[in-house]
Amino acid sequence: MEVEERATVPVTFDRNETPAVIRLEGAIDIGCAADLKAVLLEALASGGAARISVESATGMDVTAVQLLWAAECEARVSGMVLALEGPIPEALRATLEEAGFERFPLARDAEHASEVRE
Amino acid sequence: MTSDAGGDQFRLAFREEARELLLELESNLLEMNERPEDGGLVGHVFRALHTIKGSGAMFGFEDLAGFTHNLESAFDEVRKGRLPVTPELVDLTLSALDQIRTMVEEDPGGTAADPAVSGEILTRLRALRRMAGSASGNDGQAGSTPEASRTGAASAVAPVVEPWNESGLWSSQAVPGSEAERSWRIQFAPGPDMMRNGADPLLLLRELRGLGQLMVDASTAGIPPLQDLEPGRCYISWTMVLRTPAGANAGEDAIRDVFIFVEDSCELAVEPAPAEPVAGAPVAEGKPLVEDTAANAACEVACAADQEARGLEEKRRIPARRSTDQPDNASSLRVPSARLDQLVDLVGELVTVQARLSEFATRSQENEVQAVAEEIERLTSALRENSMTLRMLPVRATFERFRRLVHDLARDLGKNVELTIEGAETELDKTVIDQLGDPLMHLIRNSMDHGIESPERRRGVGKRTAATIHLSAKHSGASVLIAVSDDGAGIDTEAVRVRAIERGLTSAEAQLTDAEVFSFIFQPGFSTAQKVTDLSGRGVGMDVVRQRVESLRGSIDVSSQPGRGTTVTLRLPLTLAIIDGLLVKVGEAFFVLPLASTLECIELTRQEVEQANGKQVAYLRGEIVPYIRLRQYFRVGTPQPEREQIMVVECEEGRCGLVVDQVLGDCQTVIRNLGRLYRHVQVVSGATILGNGAVALILDPQRLVQEAVRAKTHSGRPRSPGPAIENGHPPDGARKSFLTNGVGAGATASATQ
Repeated sequence: MEVEERATVPVTFDRNETPAVIRLEGAIDIGCAADLKAVLLEALASGGAARISVESATGMDVTAVQLLWAAECEARVSGMVLALEGPIPEALRATLEEAGFERFPLARDAEHASEVRE
Repeated sequence: MTSDAGGDQFRLAFREEARELLLELESNLLEMNERPEDGGLVGHVFRALHTIKGSGAMFGFEDLAGFTHNLESAFDEVRKGRLPVTPELVDLTLSALDQIRTMVEEDPGGTAADPAVSGEILTRLRALRRMAGSASGNDGQAGSTPEASRTGAASAVAPVVEPWNESGLWSSQAVPGSEAERSWRIQFAPGPDMMRNGADPLLLLRELRGLGQLMVDASTAGIPPLQDLEPGRCYISWTMVLRTPAGANAGEDAIRDVFIFVEDSCELAVEPAPAEPVAGAPVAEGKPLVEDTAANAACEVACAADQEARGLEEKRRIPARRSTDQPDNASSLRVPSARLDQLVDLVGELVTVQARLSEFATRSQENEVQAVAEEIERLTSALRENSMTLRMLPVRATFERFRRLVHDLARDLGKNVELTIEGAETELDKTVIDQLGDPLMHLIRNSMDHGIESPERRRGVGKRTAATIHLSAKHSGASVLIAVSDDGAGIDTEAVRVRAIERGLTSAEAQLTDAEVFSFIFQPGFSTAQKVTDLSGRGVGMDVVRQRVESLRGSIDVSSQPGRGTTVTLRLPLTLAIIDGLLVKVGEAFFVLPLASTLECIELTRQEVEQANGKQVAYLRGEIVPYIRLRQYFRVGTPQPEREQIMVVECEEGRCGLVVDQVLGDCQTVIRNLGRLYRHVQVVSGATILGNGAVALILDPQRLVQEAVRAKTHSGRPRSPGPAIENGHPPDGARKSFLTNGVGAGATASATQ
């Protein structure tokens, strides 16, 4: 039987970088939602700033969107910086728009960050 | 569609799915007769029809798709409350299902399904819809389509057929009279488990975009704090405005169709909205959820508001949703039953070879060989258990099939009969279930025709005019008991006895118990009916029941009370292939007792035998346990050992013992049929080949005890007429006698027939 294998680990957390980086690669869906929740909780628990790199993410489903939404809300309330990093892939942007998140807070931050860099 | 192998394979899969759906539909329709107001049932029927239509079109069954489309439309009207559920609609739909069934079985474009029948059904359906004032305005427009003529709707019937295009999809072209540009407000809250069940709300939103311009507002009010958030659960809900272009055939139905397969597990509201978004309507396209200008503050406010809203949102949502605790379909696999049969056969062979290996290992006395043999035995046992469970199926589908039979027969006979079902989840080997249908059908037909009285007669004797047929299943040791009960007139014992005498089956002087009298009804050609009807009266049905049950190594018990009804109980083995057994030895003969029937093993010394004063009873923790000495029963001639073993078994009569010389241990037993010659020897349910090549008989403890009770009854008291069997049990006198005295020396192995 053929089994679809993920080429990469979809959710990784690099604590050694400053700020720490959560990297999302490939399709971020229900299959890795539990992993994503775990690293988001860890990032929030650290109290410092964290970035979420979505450059290599090819898609995102509702489970990922709501996890990021919840994390972002908590980060803001606690005064912590949690932001998307780097350009947002077109597919991901389209997904967010389709889901009714045309201005996803984290995405807006990423846009802002990239504008500042430019 | 070409008849390539791949296409054939898909059509085969479609047929299998369609058969299951048709069965489910039939059952839902009959339930609908009883609960016409149940919207859930209507929804199920609608969705099943929709699936049959869609899949049928996909695999080239265009006639079937076109025909089903009309039914689906009718049930859409029912769903919307425009067409009432009436017995006429249910009957007509049942007839339509028969026609669909014929269409499913024939090749696409075949001629087995008579177009005239399709046409007649659709005409009647049209009339029903007209009477209810619900028929679609589109109906008249497709009379000239080729599909219309193929579905039997040519000429006079033509107007009843609704548009249906070759691709099997709704026509997306504008049709005269279709709607102008419209806006719809859609509120969609997915069920919490939608994602886990494999459905993706975003795909539904994408599908909606195919209908027109869509503005989407996601509500995050239901998202809990991250710590409490279940990763696989869906918390987001959406409010949308869909603007459908002028001329598009995309009304409320098309919108609801997008959600058709998640309808039960979500909240959905679709209502017309003003063409332009107004105050209070959902956000316009591009509106940010959090304003850029005051992002931080707004988000904090939003988060705080969300926290409060969550509680309310959850309270609102949870009770309204249906349970979505359904089996994970994504992890199930459809396998042809023939492959499972092959697997079980191979496992059977493996079990036999493994027994030989274990035998050899024991003799070899080599530790290494013994270790390997033990490991293989363990694995074989696990493999056997696993493979057997693969073929176990609940009897539900078989039982549910009879709702239609009871409904149709009740209508034909002018009787009012309800079918009640109990224990439908009881599992049986598929090979047993496959052969259960015919006997049950004959028993039900017999009950309906002969057992259950006319409503007038029932009223006359003070009974409810609505009669009941009760189908039940339950496990009993290594067997399953399937019972068909009715609350009809009961069996006329005297009429059966007289007929038996006329046919030379017994003499006028013979004093027969009720059980013996009842056994005549299973004789070939035996009938007390005055006239032969198309239902029964030829004396064939009950003979078929007997033959089929015997071929399954089962048995039949009948109990009947005049004026109160009859119960026929079929005792069937759980499986026909392999069982766990205990291997015992009597003299030089080997026997296997099913492990499921065996409770414990106790020693029986010669001293204890002498102390019992000739009575074959043992004392087990203060309880008297009667026993059957297999040495005596099977006339084994070798000397009796000093110490014997009593295998205590659980039977309907209570605990009983079977005395053997030696217990050799447990064994997995591949059941081999003894052949027709021994089919009447019911105390033996089969044979098996042991590892050393010897043959062991597999005993049926229940039958052994029943035989012993019967032998004791006949030898212990004069035969007299009277109630011998009550609720499937032997007479109290006989039971008491057996339970206190055990089996006398006169008991010998005998066939029951």
